[in-house]
Amino acid sequence: MNTNRRKQVNPVHLSSLLRWLLVALFMGASGLFFVYMKNQQFALAEEIRQVERRISNVRSQNETLLARVTELSSRRALQQRIAEGFISMKPIQDNVIARLTPPAQAAQDGVLRTAFNERSRQ
Amino acid sequence: MRWTARTRTGIACAAVAMVFTVYSARLVHLQVTKHQEYSQLAAEKHTMRKVLHARRGLIFDRNGELLASNLPVSTVVADASHIKNPAALAAVAAPFLEMDEKELGEKLGSGRKYIVLRREVTEEKTLALGKALQEGNFRGIYFEPDAVRIYPNGQMLGHVLGFMDHEGNGIQGIELTMEKYLRGQDGYRYIEHDRTGREIMLYRGQEEPPKNGRNVRLTIDMGLQSILEEELDAAFRDLKPEMAVGILADPVTGEILAMANRPCFDPNQPGDAKPEQMKNRAIIDMVEPGSTFKIVVAAGALNEGTIKESTMIYCENGSFAYGGRILRDHHGYGSMNVHDILVKSSNIGSAKMALMMGDTKYYEYVRRFGFGERSGIELPGEIPGLVHPPHRWDKLTITRMPMGQSVAVTPLQITMGMSVIANGGQLMTPQIVRSVEDSGGGEIVDKPPKVAREVIPRKTARYISEALSGVVGDGGTAQLAKVAGFTVAGKTGTAQKVSPAGGYAQGKYVVSFVGYMPEENPRFVCLVMVDDAKIASGLNYGGLVAAPIFSRIGERAARYLDLVPVLRAEASAPLALRERKDERTN
Repeated sequence: MNTNRRKQVNPVHLSSLLRWLLVALFMGASGLFFVYMKNQQFALAEEIRQVERRISNVRSQNETLLARVTELSSRRALQQRIAEGFISMKPIQDNVIARLTPPAQAAQDGVLRTAFNERSRQ
Repeated sequence: MRWTARTRTGIACAAVAMVFTVYSARLVHLQVTKHQEYSQLAAEKHTMRKVLHARRGLIFDRNGELLASNLPVSTVVADASHIKNPAALAAVAAPFLEMDEKELGEKLGSGRKYIVLRREVTEEKTLALGKALQEGNFRGIYFEPDAVRIYPNGQMLGHVLGFMDHEGNGIQGIELTMEKYLRGQDGYRYIEHDRTGREIMLYRGQEEPPKNGRNVRLTIDMGLQSILEEELDAAFRDLKPEMAVGILADPVTGEILAMANRPCFDPNQPGDAKPEQMKNRAIIDMVEPGSTFKIVVAAGALNEGTIKESTMIYCENGSFAYGGRILRDHHGYGSMNVHDILVKSSNIGSAKMALMMGDTKYYEYVRRFGFGERSGIELPGEIPGLVHPPHRWDKLTITRMPMGQSVAVTPLQITMGMSVIANGGQLMTPQIVRSVEDSGGGEIVDKPPKVAREVIPRKTARYISEALSGVVGDGGTAQLAKVAGFTVAGKTGTAQKVSPAGGYAQGKYVVSFVGYMPEENPRFVCLVMVDDAKIASGLNYGGLVAAPIFSRIGERAARYLDLVPVLRAEASAPLALRERKDERTN
C-alpha cells in the first residue's frame, strides 16, 4: 500500500453552505409570509364584505321597520282605528281645561262653547 | 463548413436565442404596445362601476310629522350565463317572485346576461329568496337595492306633496319643486369581481360616497290639514259639488298651514287617479271671485282718499243703469257708507267706488293686492290669473270687476288678498316650504317670511277689517260663519260659473267664504270655495254654503290652536240651512 499517496479530501464548506441555506430559507420564509399576508388580506376583505352586507341588511330592515311604524302611526291609520273603534278618544271638555285667562261663559247654560255649528250639519 | 462541435453548439444557441427573441418580442408587443388595449379589456371584464344610491330626503310638516318617506325594496335581476339549471332555479324562485314557474324558467334559460325579473320586491321577500338560493347552492339571481316613495297619510295633502315617476324623479307638488334638495347625489365605487360576480374586496378601487337628499320641512300643520280635509270631505259628500278648495294660511307670515282640494287622489297610487283628481285647484284653477273681490275697491278708494269713512254713496235702490246695462243688488239700498257697502255686499256701491277711483287707479290696486301675478309659492304650475289692463276693458268692466266679474283669480290669490286686510296691509309671499334640513336636523336653507309689498296702511286695513267683522255679524251676509267665543271677519262670494261655451252657465255658481279669526289678532285666514254645489239655486250662496264650513273649520282650528275665547258664546244655535232661504245673501 502506497503510504505516500495523499488522502483525497473534499471538505464541505459549512459556512458557505449555511449562508446559502440561510438565503434560501429567508427567501422561502419571505414567500410564505407574503402568501400568508395575502391570505390574511383576502380573509379580512371577505370579513369586511360580510360586515358591510350585514350593516346594509340591518339598515334596510331598519328603514323598512321605520316605514312600517310611520304607516301604522300615521294620522290616516290612527283615524281609521278610531273609526273602527279600536281606539277610543273623547274630546277634552272646556270645563276641564285650566286657563290662565278664564274664558267667558255662555249666558244660558253656563257651558262655554267655542262654536255652535255641529248642530247645523245634522 | 465543417460541422464541428463548436459550430453545432453555435447554431443551437442561435436557434434558442431566436425563439426566445420571438417570445420576448411578442411579450413586449402584448405588454407594452398593446398595454392600454388589453388592460382596458381586462378592466371591462372584471372591473365595474357600482352605483351607490343616495337616499331621497324626507318631507315633514312643521311639527316634524313624517309626510313622505322611503321604503327599501329590491330589483331582482338574473344573469342567465351563470345559471346551470334554469328549471330547478325557476322552481325555487317563482313562489318568492310571484311569477309563473314556466315563464320564469324560459327567462332564466334565455342566456342573456341581464334580465330584470321583478321590481319593487319587499325586503322580507328578498331575504327569504336569498336564503333559499343559498341553501340550494344556486347562483345567477342577484338583488339590486332600490327604494319606493311612500306617503303614509294617503290622500291627505296629496296635491301638495305630489308624487314621483318610475325613475325616481319628482313630477308634481313638492316632490317636483324641491327635487334638487330631496334627490341627493348618487355615489360610486369601482370594484373588481370574480367570475361568479362576487366582489373582490381587496381590489376595491376609487370610491365616492353617496350624498343623501336633504329633508324638507313644510309650513303645513297636519292637525289643521286634517281638520280642513275632514270638513271638505263632509261638504263634498253632502253637497256633491264639482270641486271644493280649502286653504288655511297664517296672514302675518304668509305660511300655508293647510291646503286641500276635492276631488283628490292617493299619491301612493298615482296611476289610478284621473287627471281632474290630480289638479291642485288652489293654484291652477281660475275662478271669478265674486263679492270677495269687493275688499279691493273698498281698500283702494279709502286709501286714495276718493271716499272717506263717512262718505255716503247712493246705491240707487238696487238698480243702477250704466253702460247700457242694469246693475242690480239683491236688496234695494239707499245711501250707504263703505262699511255698510261691504256688510250688505252692495254691487252698486262697489261699482260706484270704482267709478270714482277711475280705471287706472283701480287697476293699480287690483295688481297691488297680488291679482294677475303668480304669488311665488313653491308649488308647480301656478297660474297668474287673468286681469286685463284698463286699455282692454269695455265700458262695463269698471262696474263689473269690483264685484268679482271680468276677472279671474286663483283661490290662493284670494286668500293672500284677504291676508292683506288681516295683517294690517302687507301682501305676504305665500310659503309652503319652511326649511331644508340635513339628516341631523340642521337647517341648510331657512325661509323667513317675505313681504311682497305694502299694499295699504294699517289704518285703512283696520277699517276694512272692522267692516268685514260686520259681514259675519247680525245683518251681514255671512252670519253662519260665526264662531262662538271669537270675533270673525270675512267676506262671502257668489259668482256665476263661467261656461266653457262662453258666457255664464245657468244655475251654476262658485260660492266662497274667505275670513280670518280672531279679528283683532288673526291667527289664520281660511278660504272655502265650493264649485257648483248640488243644492237648490235659492240656497246656493257663499253665506249659506261656504260660511258654515268655515265656521266648523274655525271652531275646530280654534280648539286645536288653543285660542282663548274672548266673546261671550251665543246661546242660540244658527238656523238650519233651509230656514235661511228667505235671507238670501251674496
